[in-house]
Amino acid sequence: MNKIEVSNCKELEEQTYKTILKNGLEVYICKKKGFKKKIGMFGTKYGSVINEFVDITRNKRIKVPDGIAHFLEHKLFEQEGANALDLFSKIGVSSNAYTTFDHTVYFFETMDKFNEGIELLIKLVKTPYFTDENVQKEQGIIAQEIKMYDDDPNFAVYFNALRAMYNTNPVRIDIAGTVESISHITKEYLYTCYNTFYSPQNMFIVVVGDVDVDLTINLIEKNIKLYEKDYDKNNKIDKIETFSQEEIKDIAKKEIEQKMDIYMPQLCIGYKLNIVTESEIVKRSLVCDIISDLYFSKITPFFEKEYEKGILSDVPTFGYEGTATFAHAILFASSTNIDKLKFDLCEYLEEIKQQDIDTEMFELIKKKKIGELIRRADNLNISYRRIIESSLNSFDIYEDVKILKDLNKEDIKQFLNLLDVSKQVISIIREK
Amino acid sequence: MINIYKINNEKFKSIYFSVNFTISANEKEISENAVLASVLSKSCKKFKTQKDIEKYLYSLYGAEFEVNVEKYGDLYNVEFAIEGINKKFLPKNIDIIPDCLYFLNEIIYNQNITDNTFEANIVEREKEYILDKIRTKKDDKLRYSVLKMEELMCKNEPFGMYLYGNEDIVKDITAKELYKSYLKLLNNSCITVIVSGNLLGYENIEEIIKDIFRDKINSKVSYTNLLTNIDKSMDSKEIEEVFEEGDTTQSVLSLGLRVNNVAKEDFYALSLYNAILGSTPSSKLFQNFREKESLAYTVRSRYYRFKYIFVIYAGIEKENYSKAKDVIKKQIDDIKEKKVTNEEFNAAKESIIADLKEWDDSKVALSKMLLSNLLTYHYDGVTIDEMIEKMKKVTLEDVVNVANKIVLEKIFLLGGAANE
Repeated sequence: MNKIEVSNCKELEEQTYKTILKNGLEVYICKKKGFKKKIGMFGTKYGSVINEFVDITRNKRIKVPDGIAHFLEHKLFEQEGANALDLFSKIGVSSNAYTTFDHTVYFFETMDKFNEGIELLIKLVKTPYFTDENVQKEQGIIAQEIKMYDDDPNFAVYFNALRAMYNTNPVRIDIAGTVESISHITKEYLYTCYNTFYSPQNMFIVVVGDVDVDLTINLIEKNIKLYEKDYDKNNKIDKIETFSQEEIKDIAKKEIEQKMDIYMPQLCIGYKLNIVTESEIVKRSLVCDIISDLYFSKITPFFEKEYEKGILSDVPTFGYEGTATFAHAILFASSTNIDKLKFDLCEYLEEIKQQDIDTEMFELIKKKKIGELIRRADNLNISYRRIIESSLNSFDIYEDVKILKDLNKEDIKQFLNLLDVSKQVISIIREK
Repeated sequence: MINIYKINNEKFKSIYFSVNFTISANEKEISENAVLASVLSKSCKKFKTQKDIEKYLYSLYGAEFEVNVEKYGDLYNVEFAIEGINKKFLPKNIDIIPDCLYFLNEIIYNQNITDNTFEANIVEREKEYILDKIRTKKDDKLRYSVLKMEELMCKNEPFGMYLYGNEDIVKDITAKELYKSYLKLLNNSCITVIVSGNLLGYENIEEIIKDIFRDKINSKVSYTNLLTNIDKSMDSKEIEEVFEEGDTTQSVLSLGLRVNNVAKEDFYALSLYNAILGSTPSSKLFQNFREKESLAYTVRSRYYRFKYIFVIYAGIEKENYSKAKDVIKKQIDDIKEKKVTNEEFNAAKESIIADLKEWDDSKVALSKMLLSNLLTYHYDGVTIDEMIEKMKKVTLEDVVNVANKIVLEKIFLLGGAANE
């Protein structure tokens, strides 16, 4: 029997069960009573920022082409000529996959084909099938995906900001790579990455929905066993060794601008920050959410003033992104008067560091945030995002709920003081 | 008649209230109502500014409030929506639901009006807001191509007009005129109130709503007076090709198809046709256009229930334009000639049925589907289960039959200049 841990969240009336299978695979089940939809996900803690590592099969350090984690995601979701999306669709199940900086996830959503979905999901992820021919075919499809993003101003303003902040960290490279870099991808590279990063102890399975916990764990274990001959033997845990070039503290470039065929100019103000430990990452995310509300939302005098002047129409958003190798906060905004907006925001970002935080406003925002947590529990996708975050950063599943309750004004003040002008970058997309 | 519909499901934690004002509208009325919706959402007598409104919503544990404009075929709908948490889930079981409804009542019926006009400066600012919406419509190339095709396929019909109206008309709207539009919306619309979510502890929600809104929500217009498809389109003999320049790396190709001589019950066969053609990963377009020919990453078809048209769109390399057209035409012809495998047919059916079932997990989707069905069938008796049963009965012959009523009318190619 597998030992099952239960995390209970009183506020959301929700439980999440966790177990670690014999082979090291983490399994999470978030029980959502009454919902028809069931989500199954299989993920690996491997994303676009890892491009240099020790090839586990040859014990040799190698560097791989940019965009390979995303390419692998496309190719793994395929079996002997059939696309996985199609295989799922044939049994009435919708599916997809995505790659981020630090993880890759394959998932399906179903109403009444949950067992079949789990069987197929595990089969696909556990049986790679790469040929020269199918690699070449995918290069054409992914090239169009890259070009689609090239024409997307929101994407461009964001990645330009990352390129301005980072000198060498691979976070500055598009997740999908470039048309040039993916042309160097071969089936051999794909197998190397697969064998290194798709080992059970580097992976997780997440289930969200109204399912039976024990039956689901048994189902997962049974299917995993089909593809792992030595499942019952005590596997030695292979340590994955990755390398990242030392990133200096300074930013690469203060300002970056690009022109595109658009009407509404876009702006990103980014702050490069110090890297923090795992539990701090959740806290920083929540602090940035609150800063977003406290200083840029519709309840603020700043937004009201900028709105009346016609400079802002939509609310700017402020958010945190961080892993073990990078950390930054980014403010997004758009305006037809982008230079005035940039000026006002830069001035305001300095001003708020000096201001006292209004207690009434702060409590009002916390109240809204608690309501938001409860309301969002009606959306199954929020539950799985919370679990993946928790698996990546190894902290309690409902840590965010706890941290939110304890947050105080001092936490906000402290974070604001980290926003250093010398580490600030400005990215603008202008109309042609 | 007071139309209040309840959809109760105790798996949810909140309740979504939707008050809908549905009208037939021309381009001028669409433009006016877009601005009006924006003005109404930003101010009222009790909460003078956007900031006041938002602060109040924060105090209701972040109740989510929106005034949405949407099209149901040729009908225009202004929706006042608020979502609040059921008292069961709030600290000390505090009840905010009546406050949400009082708030909605203030927004809709107790506006900031003096001398039969809205405040001019608010109207001017919201005109700018809507003008920005109109002017940015080209910033998302895929979305724009679909909008452009809707416009080409439905010239001179409300559905072919942009959701936020026409730039020149919006510029000329005055605060006085807008007040007239407001009275028209309140008095000449078909009004539908939908409550969707966890109603445990709110068994008398209908009475609460009637107490707050009184007979103001009495609808003088009935569903039978509303036409979702006025179809003024002319049968065109030749395929029209339209090109638009754009300095982008990728080109977007879109195609417009029309169903002729359609019957109401064709809805099921047409939905299935759409799934076989291009709305799922098992579809002909995904399999052949993307997977086999590597012509695109994005390729999809979309069926417009109320307008009996289809739009196909794909992000492609400009030099592949002609090949792309041929591959798409081949897929359309293949269905006409019954070249559909059992696998393709069954996958399409499974996927549509799964989509229908999924609606049950979303308060908002349930509410939108109910309104859609009310506007189509004029009664609320159509259930998801009934729709699933009908979908199950559709045969390949039914699909081939509707496929042969479908004609390709327009082709549109956008951008790609940066790649030349």
